[in-house]
Amino acid sequence: MQRNFLLALLICATLCFPASAQRLNNADVKTAPVKLTLPVKDGSVRFAVIGDTGSGTDKQRDVGSMMAQYRVAFPFEFVLMMGDNMYGGEAPADFEKKFSEPYKALLDNKVKFYASLGNHDQSLQTNYANFNMNGKEYYRFKKGNVAFYALNSNYMDKKQVEWLESELSKDTSEWKVCFFHHPPYSSAKAHGSDPQLREVVEPIFIKYGVNVVLTGHDHVYERIKPQKGIYYFVSGAGGKLRSGDVKETSPITDKSYDRDLHFMLFEVAGDQMYFQAISRTGETIDSGVITRKKNS
Amino acid sequence: MKTSIYLSVVVCALLATAAIAQDKSALAPPTVITPADKATIQTFENQVKDYVDLRNKLKTNAPKLSKDSTPEQIHAYRTALEQSLRSARAGAKRGDLFRPETADYIRRTLKIEFQGKDRAELRDTVFETETQGVVLRVNYPYAQSAEFSEMPATLLTKLPQLPKEVRYRFVGRNMLLVDRESNVIIDYMPDALP
Repeated sequence: MQRNFLLALLICATLCFPASAQRLNNADVKTAPVKLTLPVKDGSVRFAVIGDTGSGTDKQRDVGSMMAQYRVAFPFEFVLMMGDNMYGGEAPADFEKKFSEPYKALLDNKVKFYASLGNHDQSLQTNYANFNMNGKEYYRFKKGNVAFYALNSNYMDKKQVEWLESELSKDTSEWKVCFFHHPPYSSAKAHGSDPQLREVVEPIFIKYGVNVVLTGHDHVYERIKPQKGIYYFVSGAGGKLRSGDVKETSPITDKSYDRDLHFMLFEVAGDQMYFQAISRTGETIDSGVITRKKNS
Repeated sequence: MKTSIYLSVVVCALLATAAIAQDKSALAPPTVITPADKATIQTFENQVKDYVDLRNKLKTNAPKLSKDSTPEQIHAYRTALEQSLRSARAGAKRGDLFRPETADYIRRTLKIEFQGKDRAELRDTVFETETQGVVLRVNYPYAQSAEFSEMPATLLTKLPQLPKEVRYRFVGRNMLLVDRESNVIIDYMPDALP
């Protein structure tokens, strides 16, 4: 009887310990107080950026929680996703674990997510209601004076290039922001810049006055020095991290961070675009302002 | 004095010509499309169209998929489409669409493209993808847990254009033709990349 009791106790302890350890890890995260560098101006366009998120880990959930905390001070309306929204399988349970659950607080508050596809994403994600892709792998939407272009960099075929050029050529928006998965410029060791993609899209961006390009793929944060007048960001550590992956002496880096997961916040007010990159634990890792050239 | 100026100009011109020639030799030569190649491409495109007609007909039997679907609806649609396709094409085999002459044309195109100045970069793009889990088998789905290779944008402009339902994809040196929504491998050609 006593032996059975001890055995049951041992089984219980074995089953419970990993779960409690996990909770302890989560509770142990030391978070910095919300410290906003953005001006929160009346009528501004406010959004967040996350990339390479779909790991379904505790750390991804930490990022989701931190985004919700920052939203109290900075009520952003929507979130741009840089792709790799779902690593591994894409069964209904995966959508829950890798998306709905980590961002529940935001979804409950009607924050809209606009996704692009990464190299781990199945094409049918375009039909998922919460990704707002409207069944399309590449699409455009507008908020205030900003036009957003979600592109599919996995498959930049002739049709997509022609669509992009056609849409941009008639776009009179003050700000044009493109977002997609593979970075035309990156100083990370794992993947780095994608010169093939750059060769095709960069001339179009320049010709039609794209101001800012947001990407992921490399699991780090990097703000690239402006290239031919365009500001490029790599924000690919919303759910996966490649610690120590940024080349320290890269000549194209303005600022980089590869020690923890992160997300970004943006605010567009008139000719100014303010940005702030924030770590999983709430530290500001980069911030600044981009001023739009009047002729772009 | 005049002679030395002329001499300098001639030397400069020669050096510039050599530099341009060297630069040009570094670029991939354009793919020459013969009348036979045109016929090959046409046959391939017709076969792809036949496939798309079939899959779109089968698609009507699958549960309807809206642009605002739930994960459950997406899962049901993909599963039904995959099963219908596999059943309707039970006899499909390697080389049905990548027939020898088509495969030869594509291999030549890739070889030319992979000899140019961007060869190393292009190969990096293709080979960095982790596709170990993918089993190459016609009429079977591409492993859902495996990542997809990015198709280099510069290369896509050189290959025969495909309708939106079908995609090229690389797994190592092999080239696949894959159904975009169901991920079923329609055909593949081994050792496509040089």
